Amino acid sequence: MKNTLSAAKPASGSLKKPAWFVAFGFLVVLILINWYLQPSFFDGMVLHSNLTTFLPLILVAIGQTFVIMGGDIDLSVGSIAALVNVVTVSVIAMAGGDSASVPIGLVAGLVVAVLCGAFNGLLISYLRLQPMVATFGTGIIFSALALWILPQAGLAVPDVYWMTYGGTILGVPTVLWILVAGFVFVLIMKRRPFESHLKAVGGNRAGAFQSGIDMSFTRLLSFALCGLFAGFAALCLTGETASGDPLLGQSLAMGSISAVVLGGTMLSGGVGGAVGSIFGALLLGMIGNVIFFAGLPFEYQTLVQGLIVLAALAGGVLVARK
Amino acid sequence: MSPAITVRDLTKRFDKVHALTDGRLTVERGEIHALLGANGCGKSTLSKIVAGAYAPTSGTVLIDGKEVSFRSPRDAEQMGIALFYQELSLIPKMSVEANIFLRREPRNGLGFIDRDRMRAETLKLLEMFKEAVGDDIRPDALVADLTPGQRQIVEILKVYAKEPRIVIMDEATAALDGRQVKVFFDILRKKREEGVSTIFISHRLDEVFEICDHATIMRNGAVVAETTIADTTPEHVVHMMVGDVKKAPKRQLRDEDDKAPLLKLDAVGSAQLDNVSLSVAPGEIVGLGGLQGQGQSTLLRSLFGALPITSGEVLLNNEPVSIRKPADAVHRKIAYVSGDRGPDAALPGRSIFENLAAAILVSERRKLVRAKELQPQLAGVASAFKTKYARMTDAIGTLSGGNQQKIFIARWLATNPQLILLDDPTKGIDLAAKADLFALIRGLADSGVAVLLYSSEESELLDNCDRIAVFNDGAIVTELSGAEMDSFHLTRAAYGEA
Ligand SMILES: Nc1ncnc2c1ncn2[C@@H]1O[C@H](COP(=O)(O)OP(=O)(O)OP(=O)(O)O)[C@@H](O)[C@H]1O
Ligand SMILES: [Mg+2]
Repeated sequence: MKNTLSAAKPASGSLKKPAWFVAFGFLVVLILINWYLQPSFFDGMVLHSNLTTFLPLILVAIGQTFVIMGGDIDLSVGSIAALVNVVTVSVIAMAGGDSASVPIGLVAGLVVAVLCGAFNGLLISYLRLQPMVATFGTGIIFSALALWILPQAGLAVPDVYWMTYGGTILGVPTVLWILVAGFVFVLIMKRRPFESHLKAVGGNRAGAFQSGIDMSFTRLLSFALCGLFAGFAALCLTGETASGDPLLGQSLAMGSISAVVLGGTMLSGGVGGAVGSIFGALLLGMIGNVIFFAGLPFEYQTLVQGLIVLAALAGGVLVARK
Repeated sequence: MSPAITVRDLTKRFDKVHALTDGRLTVERGEIHALLGANGCGKSTLSKIVAGAYAPTSGTVLIDGKEVSFRSPRDAEQMGIALFYQELSLIPKMSVEANIFLRREPRNGLGFIDRDRMRAETLKLLEMFKEAVGDDIRPDALVADLTPGQRQIVEILKVYAKEPRIVIMDEATAALDGRQVKVFFDILRKKREEGVSTIFISHRLDEVFEICDHATIMRNGAVVAETTIADTTPEHVVHMMVGDVKKAPKRQLRDEDDKAPLLKLDAVGSAQLDNVSLSVAPGEIVGLGGLQGQGQSTLLRSLFGALPITSGEVLLNNEPVSIRKPADAVHRKIAYVSGDRGPDAALPGRSIFENLAAAILVSERRKLVRAKELQPQLAGVASAFKTKYARMTDAIGTLSGGNQQKIFIARWLATNPQLILLDDPTKGIDLAAKADLFALIRGLADSGVAVLLYSSEESELLDNCDRIAVFNDGAIVTELSGAEMDSFHLTRAAYGEA
């Protein structure tokens, strides 16, 4: 009997490129272009300010990845960020408005963030509402709450808040610390069973249930996690603006979803990872930069940005098909 | 000592469908117990209740004499019960090892998945099937990239990885070839010696008589008989299941046999096909034999335009054709029926009607669906196989496994094809429906249709084909016809010894 079985070779999973490969390639190209257009790109100051601009989207995209991997979607992340922002500044103001009240405000903001996410999760995984419809609705509610708490932009935070955020800790920029922490978190999750269960839920709901995974709870957790990361993003934005703004973060929902998809996570669920989303978010930021430095007239910037995003997405799809 | 499983007065209703009206079952420790019955009689429903995947409407389940009521498959698993899901519980986009250990991943001290241990244990499990699959299933391969048979083996390993005391094998052999079944049976026997109780569900009666000790027979949601295998005969069992089954008529040999071939393959090659030459005349049913995965399915899928052909020529009615995508094939009146329901066939979540109409709409290039016009026509085809369904508009997922398969077969027969490619089409359909199917296929052949049939079940080829081309490693090693068409020659040829 010669070689009877060689005809049915399974494609090897390990030799495939990771899902974020395309986003990473694009990112490198854009960085080179940006460097060419703006020779000071690699100066510490410039990197610092770029990272400060990109960080909120990176954080939201990390959270959004978990929801999308589970086959759901969260359109309310921008509203969660706005609500967290106004809650944080209001709580700090109520607690006295001095440096000592900052931690209280941060904690209050994060608690609200997790509660918002968990509320989404409850509606979707236990009451079985469609994720798109449900989070569109809760997004409106969270925005309304934000406006109710703080009808107008204002309420400055103590100096220590924005100075710490914009400054350095142990000689390293705070924003870099946060990025590194985000990366470490993502790498930890990659090796934890939770992410694998979430992908199972997103990849084949029946199979996941039959394998004994608690689907509702897993999905609930993914929404809570997404809320938490929208909260982190809000705290970063607060550090940037140094005050409250009930209308902040409106582009975060679409931005984060684009970043996740650019990073190789499939909207249908079950495939991908948050490492790619970080690259995806950086890529989106770099696209904006390059367009700015290329000196395009303002009216065209959005259009060109849209076209580049589309090209990157198409590239990803083509590579995935191979 | 109380029995491993006792099921009493079990019922299950889905909305208005009474899937199970009288489930009764007693399985002793260390026995292999067959659960038999026609498509849609409630076997999978009963199994899923015992395994915690469905909650019963009423009735009791006792494990080791103690009443249980499971709230999830996890509860059942903790009692040592594991179910092989007929539709497979695998996640296609995950690796073999991640699937086998899904939710039971070995962890290290930090709570991380211990990948080395997972790999090692997967390799150990794969060892059980080494004789039948060699090293073909890699632990890191995606399940989506496996053949139907390999996926089934992974689901079997997923069951045994849980080290269960009670195992339910719901049509676990449906896509396995003869050698794989043999290895599987050796495992079942070994487990029986270790005291594991197995409920064995299969539409292949020869398997039941080979491996089982007792049998419980169901009809229309109710248990109608319990018997010891040694005390009964296949004929009697079939009679209890479905009444009488008619046999497909053998082909009448006629003189005008050397008609011009309808399909002619000239040295067709591709990544998995090696110089395949074959011709099929109108009215002929040609079988593709051999061990699983030797190129039979690949050939059928290539002819249907789902896989590329890189060399050689395909002639249809003496005209070279190039079929690059399934739509090309459909327009040339080629039909493809696969037993692999999941990814190839189903429009999951869509209605039975939409699933039935899918092919006819492409073949007639229709853009507009006149549901009222089509429905009666399609209902006629579906009822030709006694497909059991409540309403045409119900979701396809509400059908039993076998009844779904009948819908996919009916879908293609409704398109009036001139060439029918059957890729293990009877996976999971019951004896009566199988007989109906082959009678129908033979009827179509007699009216001038050419048929290529691959089946993982050798008797199906021997009973229904006019010739059998035996595959090994992507090439046809021999063609059997006439007196050579028996199990002995087929097996010998399959192993490449002819
Ligand atoms: N989720 C569901 N919703 C509605 N009806 C269902 C559902 N599952 C099964 N049924 C119905 O219950 C009946 C029994 O189905 P079941 O799957 O138990 O049959 P089976 O004996 O396993 O058949 P097969 O041999 O075809 O696998 C069928 O009529 C089927 O249509
Ligand atoms: Mg079944």
